Amino acid sequence: MSGVVDVTLRTPKKMTLAQRLYLPEILAGMGVTIRHFLRNLVAIRRLPTILYPEEKRDYSGRFRGKHILKTREDGTLKCVACYMCAQVCPAECITIVAGEHPKIAYEKYPVVFDIDMLRFVFCGFCVDAFPKDAIWMSRNYEMAFFNRQEAIFGIDKLIEKPGVPVKDGYGYRPYYPGDGTVPPADASTTPVIPGDGERATLREEGRLPAYR
Amino acid sequence: MSATLAPALSPAGEKLKSRLAASPVGQRAEVRDLDLPTLEVAPSDWPALARLLRDGPECRYDLFLDMAGVDNLKRTGQKTRFEAVVHLHSLANNEHLRVKVLLPDGAPPALPSVQDVWPAANWFEREAFDLFGFDFPGHPNLRRILCHDAFVGHALRKDYAPGQRWFAAEEDLKMPAWAAETETRAGHFETQTLSIGPSHPATHGIIHLIARLDGERITRAETQIGYLHRCFEKMSETHTWNGVIPYADRLNYVSAMINGVGYVKAVEEMLGVAIPERGVLVRTILSEFSRIMDHCVNIGTNLVDIGALTNFWYLYQPRETIYGLIEACCGARLTVSYVRVGGLAIDVPEDFVPRCRALLESIPKFLDDVDRLVTNNRIVRNRFQGTGVVTKEEAIAWGLTGPMLRASGVPYDVRRAHPYDFYDRFDWDVPVASDGDNFSRYLVRMEEMRQSLKIIRQALEILPEKGPVNSDDWHVVLPPKDAVYHDMESLIYHFKLIMEGIRVPKGERYERVEGANGELGFYAISEGGGGPYRLKVRPPCFPNMAAFEKIIVGATISDAVATLGTLNIIAGELDR
Repeated sequence: MSGVVDVTLRTPKKMTLAQRLYLPEILAGMGVTIRHFLRNLVAIRRLPTILYPEEKRDYSGRFRGKHILKTREDGTLKCVACYMCAQVCPAECITIVAGEHPKIAYEKYPVVFDIDMLRFVFCGFCVDAFPKDAIWMSRNYEMAFFNRQEAIFGIDKLIEKPGVPVKDGYGYRPYYPGDGTVPPADASTTPVIPGDGERATLREEGRLPAYR
Repeated sequence: MSATLAPALSPAGEKLKSRLAASPVGQRAEVRDLDLPTLEVAPSDWPALARLLRDGPECRYDLFLDMAGVDNLKRTGQKTRFEAVVHLHSLANNEHLRVKVLLPDGAPPALPSVQDVWPAANWFEREAFDLFGFDFPGHPNLRRILCHDAFVGHALRKDYAPGQRWFAAEEDLKMPAWAAETETRAGHFETQTLSIGPSHPATHGIIHLIARLDGERITRAETQIGYLHRCFEKMSETHTWNGVIPYADRLNYVSAMINGVGYVKAVEEMLGVAIPERGVLVRTILSEFSRIMDHCVNIGTNLVDIGALTNFWYLYQPRETIYGLIEACCGARLTVSYVRVGGLAIDVPEDFVPRCRALLESIPKFLDDVDRLVTNNRIVRNRFQGTGVVTKEEAIAWGLTGPMLRASGVPYDVRRAHPYDFYDRFDWDVPVASDGDNFSRYLVRMEEMRQSLKIIRQALEILPEKGPVNSDDWHVVLPPKDAVYHDMESLIYHFKLIMEGIRVPKGERYERVEGANGELGFYAISEGGGGPYRLKVRPPCFPNMAAFEKIIVGATISDAVATLGTLNIIAGELDR
């Protein structure tokens, strides 16, 4: 705690003669701008401006850009269509339609996973909400569309294609290298459960409960 | 038996009761103890009580902060369906007070206007009229303020479905009646009405100023706002407590961090959850950096308006670097969404402290440059000194807070008057000025930036090097990801928090922080659900803008532009 400081006392209301004469103050002001000019001229590589789009700002690894849907080793989506991201989304921009995957270890999968990029607010709540490490964000923030339909990104635009580097690199994600988090086991590497891939048949035979 | 049923009042409540005991109106008002001492009155008593509260020798509640309508339709245990909740502050006693005007059921909701007691109430009453349909007999200009004139219904009533849209055609947008009139005075030309905005470079947002001009002097003015209205308060009612945070960012988007901190403070106080010291200090440091950014933008654009372009670039340079720091912490520059109820989204990066220290080194250089260019420049002096003058009495009556109030000589700063977080541990000064003109406001903001740097420097000293930034109450904060992936119990907590939201106990709370342009208050009501029942934000620039049409009467158009710049209007917060 401390006191109160009156700033008007420090700056006298009445101008001095030099200040009223314009010229000394103008010269002093020009001194400031010329100093900046010379500094920029000498260190032209360290100019504060960025020549976008040729040159881009270097964002941190936490940047919240376009989403990426992560995949398992066999290329299927890690998403299990739990709807938690759609529930937590403040902008209600995620639409999911769930389907049952033939492989039991994969449980459910999203038949449709649409993100409306015009509603999207770059908050990253979905990344926090995912329990299965299925959604990350990239550092890609350049999204422009010609119509509203194009702005709805489906699985094909969001999925991380194996072997193809993510545009602009990874951004906000649930864990970072070195923070000690062990990612959840990849279901594609788990041993095949007997009966896997035969759900429909099992159901017909009455060995699995029927759909409700 | 019956006497013991009434719970004993707290000392603050008793004090309030004794202050009011002298007058019959005061005796009729019921004193309740909530987070603030609260008075409940009937509408018929309200104007008399208002005068007593303002003028009573021991009361002196002279600063009208906020009026929030509340619709109790889906709330249990309330006396009436509608109530108007007023928050007041006494500068002399440094106390807040809440007054609830209970509007009787069975009649259209109405309460007498108190804008002759506190002129600041004028726009707040229009807002309650617009969003709740309260009638204010005695109000001189009771028109919609945030919604357009073709809007049907009252958006914040609980029986208003949130998805409804109303389209305003051009002919629905009305000008005030006086705009069509002309005045003639002997020796003067006929007056003319000039419309500045809604989209005008000097308004820095979408604000419509209608001015009647006698030559170049403004003789009457009115501002129309609401062009950016999206009903933040209604949207927050349909979201979870955490889901409001991205919306809160978009109130004052120039210093988004402070909004988030203010909002979660209200929720955290209701929950009674404690945040680790490191989390609180990171919030403080980034809030103070946000304040510096806000003042940089304000001073920079204000000087652009009067023709001094260079300063804009000098002030935007540190702002860019601060944005870089904020982006490294949370992943976004402008709409940070960094705070969460119970802490922060993620711990700060490892190079946080060195980056802060580098900023502390570089920012003063830019401030000094601007100081050299502007402070003693005769052109700036002539444009700023003596223009847009707000006297001390006017500033209080109009409900101004923040740098506007301090530039008029009132040293009211929430960080000092009601120290939250660790502000009482820091050594800093509240800058005030005595003239109340544009130049004073410029000086106050410049000094405030330096004081913020001082606070950040001390906060970095006591910032624990390592440690949690979040509370470990998993009913409030998401468990760490590692636990969620591998531990069933944590996954359940995670699932409950995401799907249902935080269970905030029933109650209400008014929490205030010092925003970059004044007292930023959040009045939250919880009914025990996962989201707010009602959330009212007290936007600091709302009273500033209400005062604008009074400040500029008698000034020239060019002075009005310079004055508008010093008010620090952020349309996102003004229109909500």
